Amino acid sequence: MAEKQLTSILSFNIKDELFAFDTDTVRNILEMGKITRVPNTKEYLVGVINLHGNIIPVVDLRNIMGVKNIKNTKDTVIIVVSNDGRTDSLIGLIVDGVKEVYSLSDDHALLETIIDNSSNTMVNISFKGTLKLDSDFIHIIDQDDLMEEIEK
Amino acid sequence: MIDKFKAKFVEEAQDNVRDLEEALLLLEEDLGNRDIIERIFRAMHSLKGGGAMFGFNDLSDFTHHLETIFDLIRNDKLKADQDIISLTFNSIDHIKFILETGNLESEEDKKEQANLIKEISKYTSETHPPQTETVKEDGVPDVVQDRSKTYLITLMPDAEILKNGTNLLFLLDDLHALGEAVTVSNYDKVPVLQELDPVKNYCSWQVILNTKEPLNEIKDVFIFVEDECEIEIAEISEGNVLSHPKLKELVEEAVTQEKVLKKEDLLNIDFDGQKEAKAAASKKKNIFKDHKISSIRVASNKIDDLVNLVSEMVTIQAQLTLYAENSGDPAIVALSENIQKLSRQLRDNAFEISLIPIQNELMRFQRLVRDLSKEMNKEIDFIIEGGEIELDKNIIENLTDPLLHILRNSVDHGIEMPDERIKAGKSPKGTIVFKAFYSGANVIIKIQDDGKGIDPDVIRQKAIERGLISKDIDLSKKEILDLVFLSGFTTRTEVSDISGRGVGMDVVKRKINSIRGEVSIESEIGQGTILTLEIPLTLSIIDGLLVTVAENQYVIPISNIEKIYSIEDVKISSSFNNIATIEDQQYSFLNLREIFEEEDISIDDSQLILVKYEDKKVGVIVDNVIGEYQTVVKPLGRFLKKLENISGASIMGDGTISLVIDTNRLIYYNDIQKYKNVK
Repeated sequence: MAEKQLTSILSFNIKDELFAFDTDTVRNILEMGKITRVPNTKEYLVGVINLHGNIIPVVDLRNIMGVKNIKNTKDTVIIVVSNDGRTDSLIGLIVDGVKEVYSLSDDHALLETIIDNSSNTMVNISFKGTLKLDSDFIHIIDQDDLMEEIEK
Repeated sequence: MIDKFKAKFVEEAQDNVRDLEEALLLLEEDLGNRDIIERIFRAMHSLKGGGAMFGFNDLSDFTHHLETIFDLIRNDKLKADQDIISLTFNSIDHIKFILETGNLESEEDKKEQANLIKEISKYTSETHPPQTETVKEDGVPDVVQDRSKTYLITLMPDAEILKNGTNLLFLLDDLHALGEAVTVSNYDKVPVLQELDPVKNYCSWQVILNTKEPLNEIKDVFIFVEDECEIEIAEISEGNVLSHPKLKELVEEAVTQEKVLKKEDLLNIDFDGQKEAKAAASKKKNIFKDHKISSIRVASNKIDDLVNLVSEMVTIQAQLTLYAENSGDPAIVALSENIQKLSRQLRDNAFEISLIPIQNELMRFQRLVRDLSKEMNKEIDFIIEGGEIELDKNIIENLTDPLLHILRNSVDHGIEMPDERIKAGKSPKGTIVFKAFYSGANVIIKIQDDGKGIDPDVIRQKAIERGLISKDIDLSKKEILDLVFLSGFTTRTEVSDISGRGVGMDVVKRKINSIRGEVSIESEIGQGTILTLEIPLTLSIIDGLLVTVAENQYVIPISNIEKIYSIEDVKISSSFNNIATIEDQQYSFLNLREIFEEEDISIDDSQLILVKYEDKKVGVIVDNVIGEYQTVVKPLGRFLKKLENISGASIMGDGTISLVIDTNRLIYYNDIQKYKNVK
């Protein structure tokens, strides 16, 4: 399967690390509000929200990443993404805060991601690479893979 | 881009194929019916044309051969018979295959096509003597009747008209563009050269125009000049009379003698054969009727979007109503009431749009019964009643497979071979009746065969063999018959090609349940079997009971609810099994707090809801019952579709979410051991 060229990324932080999604897949960024718990689901699936009349599941990406003692702050947000653009695939992911949108040009070479916390994470997470911007390292999450893991 | 057109073509071609199949089935009943043959020919013709246009060359080539047969039949050079129909059915299957795969790649497929073409050409190459010959009876040219009309248009522009830049010849061109026309020019007013003012107009024209366009189209031609011209438009006849000799004569006369054509003269022409032509025209109209666009093709996801938007609007409208009532401002209250009325109508309309008649699917069933019965040498009459019944398209999608399976069962296991039937004193021809009808907010579909029926003893024996029930258990006949819906149950030891496609009755039941339907079975040995499906009209709206469990609100479909008790009236015992004793009856029950893994504290005023499950009743304990609520059920999307207890969610008037409990699934998944317990 041909990979779509990444042209821009939305970076966000979980604890002190920076991660990123493909901006094209991001539909909304929402403040934390009431999330309706859904019984009999995995721990990281915190519930569902109502976004423009659609019911959207919300997972806590911090929990998936293995963060203990999760605390919500005023920066905590839900990033709503749909990998394939379909309403059916919409999902909200809770992160500690969004940072910036970067446009990627061709000379932005991706480094190999060296984060390997698969022992801590709830699901196996793979990365497309790490981008070094000034003093920041941004790990770009392989969203297709992440969604498949969540769907399991 | 071209792919998009191709996809569109395939979609339309599939419609054509469906039409073709339907027509063929009809033709089988009525071999000589010209209308049907015409319909078949038309469907093939559009397949051929479209195929060639979009690069389906194999399709176009193949259909061309097939079309030839029906062209011959159409022209009475060949008679339709069973063999041709069977061959055509096979060919349709081949066409379907091409539509799915595009052009033929493998040698094998090409060979199959060649074989079919060879079969087909057997019919087309033989010289069949024409059976009837149509002879033209009269020498008078026909008045061509094609719903067109012939007008006499007289155009007399003012002398000054050229001053504002009008090119009068363009007007004439426009008229000619509308249809077939003859123009007579009058230039008798043109003065001698010395007196001629080049910016003045001296001419006038008369146009006899035959066109299918409405009168308004003709008037539109003159829209910018009507103030500067004298225009007269008169209808002189229906149909195309331009080639009529008398008309020609008059036109000739006008041209040579520079006369003005008179409306009266034209009207007075007795266009011969007019009456017969009119009769023919009305006949033709009947054929044209089904060509009229009474429906449009819309991608189904657009309808889904519409329904979603409308649901959203209904929700927001409820918020508005709440706000308006609180504000106390009469103007806003009045406005919100009006919007409420409108949105309700809009909602009803939108949901109606997503309903489609089951007729569309019935064709597949007819085809299945026909093919299967031919294959197995059984004779079966398949009778359909209530094909006009409409259901939500999502329901129909989920209904097709179970129905196909049930029909396969009826043909395979139900209806006996003709000699067996005669022995049993029945007519050699079996009957399967498919009946659909409305019953309240549900649609009931009955599939009834007059076959050998199901022997409860055999079922019982099988169930014991498979360890589904214990030997000494006493079951009523109905209970025994219901065993066929258990997973892992099939009465045939060997898997037959027809019924044993991996779908048992348990899958039928699960599929029907998943669309909140019910299925039940009745059978008499020697008399036949009836399967009854009860299906909701639409999936998206339910009448529900709003309840609370811990923090959350849940909706339980009211159709499943039998009775609600206060927990004080119920004697609960959980020592061995969850047993609730109510009014001297014992029921098993589920505590939702426990199932939903909420903090298990007993609530004083909690309530027990008695719900129907198959032919039993099961109690469900909730914290509180809030009340009745009509609600739009929304899907949970791809990440939550595997949930067992929750089947959807619904957005409340204040924007919060309630989860919808499917009690059938809830009990199925949490009480799955019930037959094992009996053991």
